[in-house]
Amino acid sequence: MSKPLISVKNLKKYFNVGWRKTLKAVDGINFDIYPGETFGLVGESGCGKSTAGRTIIGLYEPTDGTTTFNGKNIYDLSRNEMQKIRKDIQMIFQDPYTSLNPRIPVQDIVAEPLDIHNIYSNPNQRRKRVIELLNLVGLGEEHTNRFPHEFSGGQRQRIGIARALALNPKFIICDEPISALDVSIQAQVINLLKNLQKGMGLTYLFISHDLSMVRYISERIGVMYSGHIVELADSEDLYADPIHPYTQALLSAIPIPDPKKQRDRYRIILKGDILSPINPKESCRFESRCPYVLDICGRKEPGFKKVKNNHFVACHRANEIIDGTLNQSRNPY
Amino acid sequence: MEKLLDVKDLAVSFRTYFGEIEAVRGISFHVNKGETVAIVGESGCGKSVTSNSLMQLLQMPPAYYKRGKILFQGENIIKKSEKEMQDIRGNKISMIFQDPMASLNPTMKVGKQIIEGIVKRQGLGKNKARKKAIEMLESVSVPQSNKRIGQYPHELSIGMCQRVMIAIAMISNPKLLIADEPTTALDVTVQAQILDIMKDIQKKSQTSIILITHDLGIVADMSDRIIVMYAGKFMEEGNVMEVFNNPMHPYTGKLLGSVPGLNINKFEPLHSIEGSPPDLYKPPTGCPFFDRCDEAMYICKDNVPERTYHSDTHYSCCWLNHPMAKDAAEGGEI
Amino acid sequence: MNDLSFKRDMFKNISKKSHKIDQIKRPAIKYWTDVWHRLKRNKLAMVGLIILIIMGIMSVLGTQISGYSYYEQDLTKINQALSRDYWFGTDELGRDLFSRVWLGTRYSLTIGIFAALIDFLVGVIYGGIAGMASRKVDAVMMHMAEIIYSIPYMLVVILFSVIFSAPRSGTSMFILILAMTITGWVPMSNLVRGQVLQLKESEYSLAAESLGASKGWILKKHIIPNGLGPILINVTITIPKAIFSEATLSFMGLGLQPPSPSLGTLANDGLAGMAVGLYHQIAVPAIFISLLMFSFNVLGDGLRDALDPKLRK
Repeated sequence: MSKPLISVKNLKKYFNVGWRKTLKAVDGINFDIYPGETFGLVGESGCGKSTAGRTIIGLYEPTDGTTTFNGKNIYDLSRNEMQKIRKDIQMIFQDPYTSLNPRIPVQDIVAEPLDIHNIYSNPNQRRKRVIELLNLVGLGEEHTNRFPHEFSGGQRQRIGIARALALNPKFIICDEPISALDVSIQAQVINLLKNLQKGMGLTYLFISHDLSMVRYISERIGVMYSGHIVELADSEDLYADPIHPYTQALLSAIPIPDPKKQRDRYRIILKGDILSPINPKESCRFESRCPYVLDICGRKEPGFKKVKNNHFVACHRANEIIDGTLNQSRNPY
Repeated sequence: MEKLLDVKDLAVSFRTYFGEIEAVRGISFHVNKGETVAIVGESGCGKSVTSNSLMQLLQMPPAYYKRGKILFQGENIIKKSEKEMQDIRGNKISMIFQDPMASLNPTMKVGKQIIEGIVKRQGLGKNKARKKAIEMLESVSVPQSNKRIGQYPHELSIGMCQRVMIAIAMISNPKLLIADEPTTALDVTVQAQILDIMKDIQKKSQTSIILITHDLGIVADMSDRIIVMYAGKFMEEGNVMEVFNNPMHPYTGKLLGSVPGLNINKFEPLHSIEGSPPDLYKPPTGCPFFDRCDEAMYICKDNVPERTYHSDTHYSCCWLNHPMAKDAAEGGEI
Repeated sequence: MNDLSFKRDMFKNISKKSHKIDQIKRPAIKYWTDVWHRLKRNKLAMVGLIILIIMGIMSVLGTQISGYSYYEQDLTKINQALSRDYWFGTDELGRDLFSRVWLGTRYSLTIGIFAALIDFLVGVIYGGIAGMASRKVDAVMMHMAEIIYSIPYMLVVILFSVIFSAPRSGTSMFILILAMTITGWVPMSNLVRGQVLQLKESEYSLAAESLGASKGWILKKHIIPNGLGPILINVTITIPKAIFSEATLSFMGLGLQPPSPSLGTLANDGLAGMAVGLYHQIAVPAIFISLLMFSFNVLGDGLRDALDPKLRK
């Protein structure tokens, strides 16, 4: 097994939201990402996945934990060393309508990383590089002088990708890159990301709430709920054999675009409300909505344990679920 | 069966200082009692303009009804005055929107907003109205409804806000409920809850629903009929089973193909559609999908295709379905 | 339309390799062009703009037109009403009010614009730094600004004019502007700081940060250009405020002294004329002050509407 490119250990990010109120957005997550792979981080709104992404890239200072890149903890680096790392780790943002400065023409947006790091002093070379990057994402020279608002969402997202590629990074964090796009355009962008990965040997952390897309693009997936990773497995294994009750409910809730199958299938509808992430008590975070909840779930946090090959779950009743001793259907498909 | 809503050749445009934008370019459809019709399309296709125009909710100017009729229970909505519309909105036709947080008054307690509606529409006294409000919240599965009544919108989760919106929309048992992307802003697990509630309501009160969405999954879950819209025009319409199992328009086919389904092959690229929808500032003269269609023919560029019916209920607007296209194909063309 | 006689040929597949897909049809519209278009449609704002342009031009040329200079005294022609010779009449020393009033406009405009400019520069720099700095530094800077702002404005002006004025020519323009702006920049810096705090959280700022941009870079390239709108509106409000402040001070005798004719001193001079029915001596400067104020305010309102993204179509 090769060495991981990125290693996240016990990462925590808490926010102070008032007198003695702590919002634990990310509460101790662990995972490794290997070179050339796509790791999917999946969860619904408020689970902390975006916060995790931003902490990993260094936009937020962590409350605890480490993110190791190429063997060094990025939170320990000096400003100079961090500037160098910035060339290797880039981010693509969710909202194509707000992640590009509306007052700057496209060529300056794409060239901004080059300008910040003073890569090209010759304006001709700079322009050449910008056009090269635009071509990589399916846009052209004729777009260089236009402004973001003149483009569609999908095109804007491609401009964002071109910007992220400018410094030839090794690792790109994709923070919900397709959520704001139409379905047929999502497919365009996903195909583009995949091709770029192959062509440039990129490693991705793909953050999204869209399980179907994440399954398509990722090799391994981590499911996040309320600041914790509740399940982590190879993507096909996660779909074939979801163990954590939340993963099961999540998969069950995705509507299938096939009327007969959709209307015939067995569905898990979660009742209850999500627990507040502010000053949470010591318990399983899914306790308030879990169909298999026991006493212990309200008193003790479940540990993140390996239950199968390459398959980890954080649930007190994981073994029962695997053995089938719980009287519930496991695969909601 | 009498048509509850009958839209004939509706066209809506926007006047801007640099020209006219034709958002809706001649659409016709109907909705019967108790059925759910989904209008599906991507952003910019005109589906939201369509739904807003059904209740005269567009800002006029710059929008204006270029031509056509919207017949609701036989009467033309376009010709109605603002006063008459106020009697229809929230009463005979209700609408729920994408962002429930934006549709609720953040400074007013949730209960008050519902009770006001009940008092105004049904003339009940405050106490009776309060009881009814609690009932309605329970009917949309809001737990602890007597506690929720006293809370402000920001104290409720977004899923609960959407449920409150549905409750408010259903106060006077409207004949038609227009749901404009009702679950787009919600998480998938909350979406499942909301769709269940909507199906429940429809069963109980026989309300017709127009569901505006881009998500084919929820169409498969909920609708009886589906209409596919693109660049201001309808491309295909039919029963849900007909269209999903046998899409006759290339755009519909591509839409269905771009959603990664159950049996996806990870090594094949996803079916996507190259390019972007056309700008309706200078709309294309022929078939709007011409630019992005793999199977486009010469005739498609400048001629708008007419409807070809595949069954009583299923039609598509595509030259490929024209009998002459089959002819040409059989004649051994290149 | 109902041409059913389509040729068979037209049903051949068209190969579209040469077809450009990602074309943009609409004319490229820059942000400020769009704002200008929207402003143009606001008739009132345009009226204000035209008035300002006319007054601006006249403030430079006006003193040359009438043939009389602003300081020439003709004691035989004192306190004359409007006439062919003296279009706005004369004052109590026989000076041509027409020339004087245009010169006064020039002074008022200069003072107003310079005061607003200093306001703007200091405010943007101070507010920008405070907004981008850490919470602690920001807090300290804001407290300092509060303290400065709490010094009574009038006190400062009086102190300055007493300390720095030359015996005969009164307070110089420079000192006056200094006195007005030394505490006046605080609201602008608050506004700028608010904009910065808000735009700091925008996704494109975050994107720049993730690329390795320094805080100064983000402030200069991303935040200020996008925050310019409300700041500009504030400037168009600050100018009339400054003009009016100066006029008031001069009216009270604290500002520019005679013979420098600011609109305020002219109004002051004209007060005496009111008693003997020479209304034009006060009416003319008063109308000019009002016109300036009105025009700037109406232009500022129009700008606010033109910049409002919600009204954008």
